[in-house]
Amino acid sequence: MKKLIYLILLGFLISSSFAQKKISKLHSKQNLECSTCHACEIPTKTNPCLALCPREKGNVTAHKVGDAPEVFEINNIQGEKDIYGSVNFLHKAHAEMSEMGEGCTACHHYNPPGEIVKCSNCHETDRNKVDIQMPDLKSAYHRQCMDCHSKWEEESKCENCHTLNDNYKSAISPTEIVKVYKLVEHPATKVYETGECKRGKVATFHHNDHIELFGLECVDCHQDESCQSCHNQKLDFKKTVDGSNHSRCVSCHDTENKNQCAKCHTDKETKPFNHFANTGFDINKYHSKNTCNSCHTKKGSYKGLNSQCQSCHTWDEENFNHTITGLKLDENHIDNSCSDCHEDEDGNLSYKKPLCTNCHDEDEGFVVPKNLPGKKVK
Amino acid sequence: MSQNRRDFLKTFAAIGTTAATLTAVSPKVAKASSRGELSVDRNGVLVDTTTCIGCGKCEWACKTAHHIEPGNIEDYSTKLTDGSQRRPSEDALTVVNQIDKSVMNSDKVKLQCMHCDHPACVSACIVGAIKKQENGAVTWDTDVCIGCRYCMIACPFQIPAFEYHKALDPKIAKCDFCYDRTQEGKLPACAEICPVGALTYGTREELVIEAKRRIEKNPEKYHDHVFGEHEVGGTSWLYLAENSLVETVFPKLGTNPAPGVSESIQHGLFAYFVPPVALYALLGGVMWLSKTKENEGGH
Repeated sequence: MKKLIYLILLGFLISSSFAQKKISKLHSKQNLECSTCHACEIPTKTNPCLALCPREKGNVTAHKVGDAPEVFEINNIQGEKDIYGSVNFLHKAHAEMSEMGEGCTACHHYNPPGEIVKCSNCHETDRNKVDIQMPDLKSAYHRQCMDCHSKWEEESKCENCHTLNDNYKSAISPTEIVKVYKLVEHPATKVYETGECKRGKVATFHHNDHIELFGLECVDCHQDESCQSCHNQKLDFKKTVDGSNHSRCVSCHDTENKNQCAKCHTDKETKPFNHFANTGFDINKYHSKNTCNSCHTKKGSYKGLNSQCQSCHTWDEENFNHTITGLKLDENHIDNSCSDCHEDEDGNLSYKKPLCTNCHDEDEGFVVPKNLPGKKVK
Repeated sequence: MSQNRRDFLKTFAAIGTTAATLTAVSPKVAKASSRGELSVDRNGVLVDTTTCIGCGKCEWACKTAHHIEPGNIEDYSTKLTDGSQRRPSEDALTVVNQIDKSVMNSDKVKLQCMHCDHPACVSACIVGAIKKQENGAVTWDTDVCIGCRYCMIACPFQIPAFEYHKALDPKIAKCDFCYDRTQEGKLPACAEICPVGALTYGTREELVIEAKRRIEKNPEKYHDHVFGEHEVGGTSWLYLAENSLVETVFPKLGTNPAPGVSESIQHGLFAYFVPPVALYALLGGVMWLSKTKENEGGH
């Protein structure tokens, strides 16, 4: 009997400790300052004396960008006249972009710990309301969108997000649904003039390489930026880089190390990255389809690797299939051990140039590549 | 000679009587026109030019509400971007202009009748067709209007327009604060449609408080002045902007009501009926004196 009581007590303890980890729905039990929401010292149910939406103090802790729904249909606002159709808001795309800027709080400006607060929880749908301080739902949505969009869109064209309902369509109305955005054009190569620097007048930045070759995500370099630094194509990109020019590079490049300066700061514009030219290791032959990270596995580190195959590849004589090198060994050679051919004069394994002379007499004309120990394959 | 003088005095007396009769009526008329009791609950609109995105929907909604052919709804945003500074007219009772086209996102200002608390047009209208309504709107009665266009000249904001193109029965046209709509409990058409809520409709008293709250909360965003709070004695439409709107959008106006000058002369002449009585007494005295002299001369 005693054991049973202990068991029940234990179970109760465990369950209660789990319950504590869950965020309480009672906001008074959350880790919040009362003054964040209440204007007076002792709020009551009848007089909660709610402060105006504390834009600055909001925080979103509930979920990651990836968990957010991909598209929201916004159809909960309606004016006197039903001019426009609903809007499909690409929530996920915006959430991902927001990681380069203010984050979720850019839009979700008030969200104490707990569930995500919907816009309509605070903003009334009825425009003809008593409270004139807080914008109604329609205004809140539009301000949220237009705050950013108007910074690079020359005209505030409603049709960029909305489709006109039939009654309001004219001959020139677009029939296609929703032309929401202009795709941002990535700059290919940027050449920055670094007037103040002693060494190197220019710094060439190959934007394309960083995306396509090095596989970086936008957010890896672009942080704490405004939407228009990318979207406003009219904006001179040079001007968007502030005094701390290295801020975007520093997460990968060691800008403090003075020996590294010359890598970017040069007298002339440099060519795009080429593995052979820059490092001496030609990847065009066998490794052209690899991404950087498949060899340079340590994130953010691209230090020189051992060029010996075995430093990456775990082949041994038993499981190695010579065909992947482009040479299918014929039956006379297939059972040879690696060192029979790939051995340099000092007797070390070397995969650069096979030595045929171990078995064949060069004088008799057995010279590679004239006489191959097999068939070339692609 | 003496006969002439008697005639002269008689005429003068007649003028005095007429003036006295007029005086009895005039103060009431004047009071009803522009110095009338203003309702505390009179409404207004707070225009936040920093919020306006220049979509032009207010122009479209205004035309639709006033049965003016609006044209394509998609065309409105482009009207703003050509940089022209348009004025309200008989076929566009409200217009939105971007003041400085060279600065992207600079203030966009909606123009329409300001619905003054002490309207000069009401004071100037010789037939009493224009009226300051209790809810703040300055409306006019087209049946009474004789088309003299005095209101157009009197208006410090040069708002009333005239249907010059109509040979027959041309009318005055201006924003009527959607008087019919507001009487039904609806919002003015422009305030109803504005997608970003740049136009806030409410009692003027509350709007002034709200405007000042916004300035206090965001001092770097707003120029520290609520245009319309005191200009020409106060207007129903109030403006918040990043930069001063005086001399870029609106003329530099004092805080005295526009009809002040003309009315102060008019009202001063007849104040409490004292000046007319005094004048009459003076004239009476002159008559009496001259009569005594005449009598003496006769003896």
